[in-house]
Amino acid sequence: MATTVEHHVDNTIERPGERAPLVLGGLNYSEITRTVCDVAERPRPPRAWYIAFAISFALTAMFGVLIMHLFLKGVGVWGNTSPVYWAFDIVNFVFWVGIGHAGTLISAILFLFRQNWRTGINRAAEAMTIFAVICAGTFPGIHIGRVWAFYWLFPIPTEHLALWPQFRSPLLWDVFAVGTYFTVSLLFWYMGLVPDLATMRDRAKSKWAKIAYGAFSLGWTGSARAWHRYEIAYMILAAFSTPLVLSVHTIVSFDFAVSQVPGWHTTIFPPYFVAGAIFSGFAMVVTLLVPARELFGLKDLITIRHLENMNKIIIATSLMVGCAYGIEFFIAWYSGVDSESYAFKNRVFGWYYWAYWIMVICNVVIPQLFWFKSIRTSPWLMVIICIFVNIGMWFERFVIIVTSLSRDYLPSSWTYYQPTWVDFGMLIGSFGLFTTLFLLFCRFLPTVAISEVKNVAPKTHHS
Amino acid sequence: MVATQTHGHHSKPHAGHGPESELVGLLAEFEDQDALIDACEQARLSGYKKFDAYSPFPVHGIDQAMGTRRTMLPFFVLAIAFGGVALGVGMQWYANIASFSPIFPGYDFIISGKPLWSLPANIPVSFEVIVLSSAFATFFGMWFLNRLPRLANPLHRIERFKRATDDRFFLMIEKNDKQFSAEQTLDQMQQWGASAVEPVKLDLTDHKIPLSLRRAGLVLGLLLLVPPAMIYRAQHATNPAPRLHFMPDMDWQYRFGAQNVGPIWYDNREPKYFFQDKTVMRLPPEGTIGRGALTTDIELFRGIKAGTKIPDPTLVPQPAPAVAGQAPAAPVLPLEPEWVTAFPAALTVDQSMVERGRDRFNIYCTVCHGYAGDGNGLVNERALELAISSPIQKGATSNAVWTKAKSLYDPTVTIQPVGRIFDTITHGRSTMGPYGSQISTRDRWAIVLYVKSLQAARAKEPPLVTPAVPVATPAADAAPAKDAPGSSIPASDETANKSDSPATDSKGN
Repeated sequence: MATTVEHHVDNTIERPGERAPLVLGGLNYSEITRTVCDVAERPRPPRAWYIAFAISFALTAMFGVLIMHLFLKGVGVWGNTSPVYWAFDIVNFVFWVGIGHAGTLISAILFLFRQNWRTGINRAAEAMTIFAVICAGTFPGIHIGRVWAFYWLFPIPTEHLALWPQFRSPLLWDVFAVGTYFTVSLLFWYMGLVPDLATMRDRAKSKWAKIAYGAFSLGWTGSARAWHRYEIAYMILAAFSTPLVLSVHTIVSFDFAVSQVPGWHTTIFPPYFVAGAIFSGFAMVVTLLVPARELFGLKDLITIRHLENMNKIIIATSLMVGCAYGIEFFIAWYSGVDSESYAFKNRVFGWYYWAYWIMVICNVVIPQLFWFKSIRTSPWLMVIICIFVNIGMWFERFVIIVTSLSRDYLPSSWTYYQPTWVDFGMLIGSFGLFTTLFLLFCRFLPTVAISEVKNVAPKTHHS
Repeated sequence: MVATQTHGHHSKPHAGHGPESELVGLLAEFEDQDALIDACEQARLSGYKKFDAYSPFPVHGIDQAMGTRRTMLPFFVLAIAFGGVALGVGMQWYANIASFSPIFPGYDFIISGKPLWSLPANIPVSFEVIVLSSAFATFFGMWFLNRLPRLANPLHRIERFKRATDDRFFLMIEKNDKQFSAEQTLDQMQQWGASAVEPVKLDLTDHKIPLSLRRAGLVLGLLLLVPPAMIYRAQHATNPAPRLHFMPDMDWQYRFGAQNVGPIWYDNREPKYFFQDKTVMRLPPEGTIGRGALTTDIELFRGIKAGTKIPDPTLVPQPAPAVAGQAPAAPVLPLEPEWVTAFPAALTVDQSMVERGRDRFNIYCTVCHGYAGDGNGLVNERALELAISSPIQKGATSNAVWTKAKSLYDPTVTIQPVGRIFDTITHGRSTMGPYGSQISTRDRWAIVLYVKSLQAARAKEPPLVTPAVPVATPAADAAPAKDAPGSSIPASDETANKSDSPATDSKGN
């Protein structure tokens, strides 16, 4: 090792003319490899992993049982009722799709902007994207009523019906957007994984690890000619993912904005939804990575600087959604449409006023604490704030969907929506599924993009 | 230094069966990326073409050092992206507006009054299809150009090379290169600063697929034959059982017959009804009548003179069995009500009503009665042909399969008052079916008028009926019932002439 760096150097301080280090502890290349691979290579993970896995796996199992219950009994087991036909199912869908957006933002948009700090967190964030989209896709999949006819969502030729999907419907756009998003995210993530899987293949000791990592690393050697095409392919995928990620939540917002329900029919929805998605997604990344870096000893790779940068994005997007909340009221007043103004008054003072105020406090007020450097650089405080953000963002979708539907144009059918125990069980179960997948990812795959971190690490010189 | 040791593997060398391995190239190890870049530069300047560098991460500047040409991948992706445009737009165009159906028909229905093709609504799906196809092109194109996945590579046999994915940098020059010579290349590599040089050898003894894999492959291959075999067998067999139907929800929906009385469904064996009287439809409230259901004008709706006694219809004797080719026995007249002989006052009898009657007659009546009303419609002719030639009929005691349609000029018909003809059309007569449910009341009267016009026109030679005025008025036939039927017919010459050849000009209506 040529240089010795203080282990606990504060890399959040900006020194003019100098780039803040993104890898601490003076790790050289092989130490970076060892730090990351150690999580998967140690004979057994820490006890906390087992406890977390047991809980989240139990919740996943509960999720599965509840889905079977739903299939056997029908969607009546949910609290959805006229006129609130969309409730927890679609709230959860929009929430989880939004969570996914941070991963793509980190892996694609920050890549195009040459933000090198993304290398420490992009792998975990991309994994989070994929798991969040799996959770998201589950809800529309199971809320269609006749689940066995789910393939009618896709333009598959039918033998007798001569029926095709309605290509003008935002709900169909959703199928294409979320399907494409999942597929492209998976390709992007797997492509990034291949060189690191090759690293793990070359370090593997057991026979099964050799076979598994060997098969999935596709025979990668790290050839310069392969790297050349790989980097160009990576950039093309990033360039495609950037408009894709914006399109996905735009189209999700079209599900509402294209309809005529007061409180939904606004043009501000696409940017407002995308900002909210990034906001909640970054909060989820922070929530996951702070415990992960503690648990798996990744503090030198996922440094306080990485976390602080994410918190800065959180405060920026928090202000954006806060602005959007304000603009919505302005537009409701400015439009001069009675039902529109009523819908917004109803949000603040109506049946669901508590949901609205939870949303505002969690999304706009609490994140302002990140203006204080001591708070945004203290890992456990930021986790608490980010959990509030996630609660707030879940309630944002609840407010948009349920308050608007429960009092639409026809006062005679206004209903106070009440979720059932199945609704709550499925919400919690989806978190179980998400956490289970993330814990398995941490245990068996490189949590940090090894080859990308080496690229931003100080050169290792052997003499 | 040259390390000749290779990574230990499980091959068993076969002595005396040729060489165990073949030299592929020389591998030089470097300790940092700068040394690798220098070595690549040197290799290129020395004239080597077939060489490659290996590093744990993409090393900046190595492409220039090696003289790597920029990949064509972006152009490939661009081409696929254009294909994605065509695919995305074409798919939606075909599904939503194609009216032709080479294989699967398009769904070209106007929905919500929107045009069949409106591009803005098709942009989101087209965009997603473009992104998806381009991402696939990028991902698979990159692996294809890199000739991966490759599951066997002599480099992976070298223990030292495992650090290529960790912290070491390698340069390999292939034996196939024209410049390659084992000794000279080795010297050069050491000059370029390699910390170690090692030959890369292709193991010739270990190229067989392991027995376990071969066995698994055989079993898998045999299993793959099962589905086609089952399909082949099913195609050449007859199965009387209905098709598999996994979720027969559509077959078991509760349906409610409008006239049903009885349980609609069972909830835990407890019968459920819609209404207390167990019916599924409500009767109109006492003393109310539906719109358009008021039929108190008995002359208009029944063709019966107002104020006369209507015989009990249950006392009407059944008509005698009809005989093919013969007119059925005349109905028992005394039980008939007193038919109107003139058109009801609610109708305006004029030329347009005759035209309307002709139009309806040509639709509903001509199939049996013929365009001119001679009882020689095509259905009638064909039915008679079949009735005569049918083998079943030959030995049968009764051959009354088809009753010949009546000529409208039959004396039994020409004497009928207009009310009775109206009743025949409404309820049918003998084997003629009822048309009351298919033809509206006023149209039925228009047909009656047209029939009477035809009869009047035909009767010109024996001048039974002579139309007095071109357009009759209902007031004109406030005549006694004994008046010749059809005295009120507005059978102008024009109408009569047209009636002779209605088939030719009926289209004009």
